[in-house]
Amino acid sequence: MPAPLTPGTLLLRTATAAMLLACAMLACSLIGPQAISLKAALSTPADSAAPNPDREIFLRVRSPRIILAALVGAALAGAGVVFQALLRNPLADPYILGISSGAGLGVILAIVGGLGWTLWGRSPVTLCAFVGALGTVWLVWGIGRITGKYQVTGLLLAGVVVNAFLSALIMFLTSIARGQQLYATIFWLMGNMTEEDLLVLWVSGGGIAAGLVGLFFLSPKLNIISVGYHDARSVGVPVERIELAAFALAAFITAVAVSLSGLIGFVGLIIPHAVRLVFGPDHRQLLPLSSLTGALFLVVADTIARTVVAPAQLPVGVITALIGGPFFLVLLIRLGRKGYWLA
Amino acid sequence: MIPAIQAQHITFGYRRDRPVLRDVCFEVPPGDFLAVAGPNGAGKSTLLDLLAGLRQPQSGEILLADRNLRSCSVAQIARRVAVVRQEFIPAFGFTVEETVLMARTLHYGRWGFESPADRQLVRRALELTETTAFATRGLGSLSAGERQRVFIARGLAQDTPILLLDEPTSFLDLKHQVRIYDLLKSIQQEKGTTIVAITHDLNLAAQYCDETLLLSPGGSSAAPGPHFRIGKTSEVLTPEAVERAFEIRLFSGMVGRARFLFPLGRKAQDSDRPDPPA
Repeated sequence: MPAPLTPGTLLLRTATAAMLLACAMLACSLIGPQAISLKAALSTPADSAAPNPDREIFLRVRSPRIILAALVGAALAGAGVVFQALLRNPLADPYILGISSGAGLGVILAIVGGLGWTLWGRSPVTLCAFVGALGTVWLVWGIGRITGKYQVTGLLLAGVVVNAFLSALIMFLTSIARGQQLYATIFWLMGNMTEEDLLVLWVSGGGIAAGLVGLFFLSPKLNIISVGYHDARSVGVPVERIELAAFALAAFITAVAVSLSGLIGFVGLIIPHAVRLVFGPDHRQLLPLSSLTGALFLVVADTIARTVVAPAQLPVGVITALIGGPFFLVLLIRLGRKGYWLA
Repeated sequence: MIPAIQAQHITFGYRRDRPVLRDVCFEVPPGDFLAVAGPNGAGKSTLLDLLAGLRQPQSGEILLADRNLRSCSVAQIARRVAVVRQEFIPAFGFTVEETVLMARTLHYGRWGFESPADRQLVRRALELTETTAFATRGLGSLSAGERQRVFIARGLAQDTPILLLDEPTSFLDLKHQVRIYDLLKSIQQEKGTTIVAITHDLNLAAQYCDETLLLSPGGSSAAPGPHFRIGKTSEVLTPEAVERAFEIRLFSGMVGRARFLFPLGRKAQDSDRPDPPA
């Protein structure tokens, strides 16, 4: 059993995970249908007018996509940790309160409705997903508050029912959509890492980073909150305020991630469990390590998704479940026997 | 000396027209061990919630030392009162030590970590409750008695002058019941902690607790007079008072200087009597 967490251990592990992530991002940016050389990509040609295809591919094609995958992975895994703690439920994931179907509905309405307008020259689909996600989670949260302050069953049920209802709406709209619309919708729903432009990446990256940092400062209190409402109150945690802040931040970063990449399952559920199996349940450590591991996992999964059947590409959601599933089962069987579920 | 706890005319009901507690008044001197007894539904757990600041009385005031509970923040209450409950959700596999450390959440530094002083309090709480041996084990792998000691350790690690316990010996066998009460008694004596424990075991209360608050489920009835008695345990837990509060018949006997109560059956109600022959 590991010794209790110290700031030194936490720093060391986080730094190691960050290094691993950086290495993986660099390595994955060199992998692809077109082999590129890092040396060529980083060199500044004396003649700036001369074409440097390696540099172009590295900077304009691969890097944005890899950064996007890292951001989405970090947000989903981090939000997964927080939702599991707040709902005191190991089966919770970032989508459980209807964020996924809300975003999906926003997107399909934008596509089927044929929204022609643009925002600073960009399609409104991302924005619609974001608004749909936050609107839905706000609705579900409101219903949960009405049904009970001390227990989360009402909140969970509200999430499940709203999810089912919105999914039915999505299916209805999909079934009346025409060919091109249908393709765009399904492509979005399956989750994908299309290359975003840099401004969108910077803004959403900033949002996700800020959200994760905020959650890190709430994480010491998540330990006792995940044990129970009354326990947290009696050790002096203002539960309502902390829960509201954590819900808002986690829903926000999930909504950003979903708007960027569509629905990518598995990361938000499994990465927190994998990290917990190896390093224990302390949220001060679980949150940063899960975020970094989620980023690493999605970067690798996306690299596989875009190379394995090149030049065609698979939806990354296929890879996360196909690779992550068996890997997690191995971890579960090996470590679960040591009494993780009882521990 | 200022009482550790003062309840002044507190009234509370989950529905406004049906008070569970009506005009309850009592004082607990510092360092006292008070048992709260009474049948189910008499308002014992409700009273504990009120003392822990989880609910506000509809009327009346609760003072901890000389501080009114209404004007205390959640953190200020947690510095004065620790609560030990028996709810347990085995969700995420925290170890015993991690669980006890959570009591110090309020005192974590800016980066969310405990100080050496916090660690020392945790170590002491583990020692007092004799849980050091399984400090690194998961909470879910413990027996009910061991787990109960861990929850008491968490209450101790909070380092408060008042400790509230909700049925600390339910689910426990006789050996562990006695161990828990011995433990509470030693905490009371060593640290001078004021202890309030809800209990269903009147004989244990009679042996260990200085005073007893006996609640009857009369909060909502129109019957005049208070629906509680408080005082020295031997004076409150008389066979007559217990028979009335629980509506049972009792056998009572003395062993040495201690009185033991043994339930014999339901008290005959007027409606239970056979109709008189015509």
